[in-house]
Amino acid sequence: MLNEKPTWKSSIKGWLYLLPMLAISLTFNIYPIIKSFLMSFYTKYDFYNDIVSAYGFSNFTYLWNDPDFHLAVRNTLIFVIGVVPLNVIISLAIALMLNKIKYVASAFRTIYFLPFVTSTVAIAQVWNWIYNADYGLLNYLLGLVGINPINWLNDPNWAMPALIIMSIWKGLGFNIVLFLVGLNNINTRYYQAAEIDGANSWHQFTNVTIPLLSPMTFLVTVNGVIGSFKVFDEIFALFQGSSGPSKSALTIVYYLYEKFYTEWKYGIAAASGVVLFFLILIVTLLQLWYSRKHVHY
Amino acid sequence: MQVTFKDVTLSYDGKREILKHLNFVIQEGTLVCLLGPSGGGKSTTLNLISGLLAPTAGHIFFGDKDVTKEDALARKVGMVFQNYALYPHLSVQKNIEFPLKMAGLSRGDRAKKAKELAALVHVDDQLDKKPGELSGGQQQRVAIARALAKEPSILLLDEPLSNLDARLRIEMREEIRRIQRETGVTTVFVTHDQDEAMHISDKIMVLHDGHIQQYSTPTTLYADPENLFVAQFIGEPVINSVPASALSHDLAGVVPADILSQAQTAGIRPEALTLPQRALNPLTTLHGKVVEFDQFGRESTAKLDYNNLQLISTEMGQLSHDTKELDFTLEKKGFFLFDANGKRIFGGDDHAE
Ligand SMILES: Nc1ncnc2c1ncn2[C@@H]1O[C@H](COP(=O)(O)OP(=O)(O)O)[C@@H](O)[C@H]1O
Ligand SMILES: [Mg+2]
Repeated sequence: MLNEKPTWKSSIKGWLYLLPMLAISLTFNIYPIIKSFLMSFYTKYDFYNDIVSAYGFSNFTYLWNDPDFHLAVRNTLIFVIGVVPLNVIISLAIALMLNKIKYVASAFRTIYFLPFVTSTVAIAQVWNWIYNADYGLLNYLLGLVGINPINWLNDPNWAMPALIIMSIWKGLGFNIVLFLVGLNNINTRYYQAAEIDGANSWHQFTNVTIPLLSPMTFLVTVNGVIGSFKVFDEIFALFQGSSGPSKSALTIVYYLYEKFYTEWKYGIAAASGVVLFFLILIVTLLQLWYSRKHVHY
Repeated sequence: MQVTFKDVTLSYDGKREILKHLNFVIQEGTLVCLLGPSGGGKSTTLNLISGLLAPTAGHIFFGDKDVTKEDALARKVGMVFQNYALYPHLSVQKNIEFPLKMAGLSRGDRAKKAKELAALVHVDDQLDKKPGELSGGQQQRVAIARALAKEPSILLLDEPLSNLDARLRIEMREEIRRIQRETGVTTVFVTHDQDEAMHISDKIMVLHDGHIQQYSTPTTLYADPENLFVAQFIGEPVINSVPASALSHDLAGVVPADILSQAQTAGIRPEALTLPQRALNPLTTLHGKVVEFDQFGRESTAKLDYNNLQLISTEMGQLSHDTKELDFTLEKKGFFLFDANGKRIFGGDDHAE
């Protein structure tokens, strides 16, 4: 019934429907998050017997003083700033072009979507070859325009750009598809109205496309920022289990991974996870605040 | 601005012609309705005037100038779309200002002009709202203000009232008429509602099947329909149309024999069937049975059976309720004969005496 009043019975019924999903999400999402928050305060911990003998802030003071962690935060920020804006702009540009083509668009869509359904490891293998200093495709192409070969994967100055380029490319497919959906949802009437109102193609783009696409742009950006903050597999696969030459591609999650799996410093690993969590939270809140003004639903 | 179509043909796909050799003139300063059933090519014609569509063949003139090759911007038309197409992210004021912004007016001039227009269409108290916060009628008014902002040569409206409820529709059509009179802008109004067209227009163009069925004043359209389609499309209740053969006995000697022999269909307006004592200009007298008699407020309809054909009359309010059979008058005004092609061959101004 449409005007049914919530009763105890109906509320319990509702909760029961939610229960299975709730149980799964409590076990595998909420519990680990709480646990890792707690773990970041363990200062003396026996992992195998799960016995904590001391709590404190020393994990955080360790991070505060650890130059490796500073490097990881810096690299992560560089990565986010390097990847997200370019990724958004390039995917939007390609989506706009695909939207104009009528006939082969679906073929192109598939091509651009492939990276999304291909495993990161396989992609990294291919890029490993593309970046190869001696016989890689990229250096060959650069050679054609007279640029000296770059040792992409072994030069600490070029490892981060190499990682950024691959990540931008990898993220394109999914974002192009999202942008195409967004573009399709803009009623052609608005363009006709704008044309009648005297808007040329550029004005139509800035006055109709950009504002009406803004919810999708916001989604893509937030999603991209969160994903980029958590970058790990790309590094692991591209630099074959290292954080790049002289740690030049060490990011927060890579740092966390090393602390946890190779150094068994669980408390420090958990603390770096907490720092990452708050970094992402702050940036996402900033984006939400910005979107209040600039995103039109 | 006067609009002229010369032999305009349009096909979207190169195969089927939606509009076939259209020729017409819309006089400067008038309000013309494009009327016809859905799919008749009304929006297509409007888009040809606006410049959003280019004709497949033929020429379009604004005044003496051939604008066939010019786009919407160069033609300087204002347009109101069926669903208004107001920019959802802009306030009412910014919506009205948009064409002026595109034209490069300064911020101050834009605001001044937008306020004037908002006052003209009575939305001056809504300037800061977004379109989504307005009612359908208010959105409609804003859309009209936006269309008028750049002082268009022509104002085009594509089914502007069809998203509104019945009462608001009547109010808004009077508003559109008022705004048109106040601004004097040449206006083309698309509708599929004959009643709306009859109330608002200086002239009505009935479009069907890619052709102009008739282009005349509302009065002429009703009194002198050129063909069966127009006779049936205009008027409420719908004209009675019966095979002419059923009337031939009663019409012999009243209608010239050569006309009667060509007649295929007879059209009788419901008000052309009256009681003999109230007849004004009778053509002949018919005899039939009363099937049903209904009174709705001040209106009444009687369903009559004549030679096993059903006829509706709206003029039998005086009929006493126990009448079973009667003689009734067929008036000259409102009686038409159409030939096998649907062309009118008797009645209307053919028969002016
Ligand atoms: N963009 C288009 N592409 C192809 N056919 C169209 C297009 N727009 C309209 N038509 C066809 O043209 C005919 C007339 O349409 P339209 O002008 O919209 O009629 P109306 O406005 O009188 O309802 C219809 O048969 C319709 O299917
Ligand atoms: Mg239409």
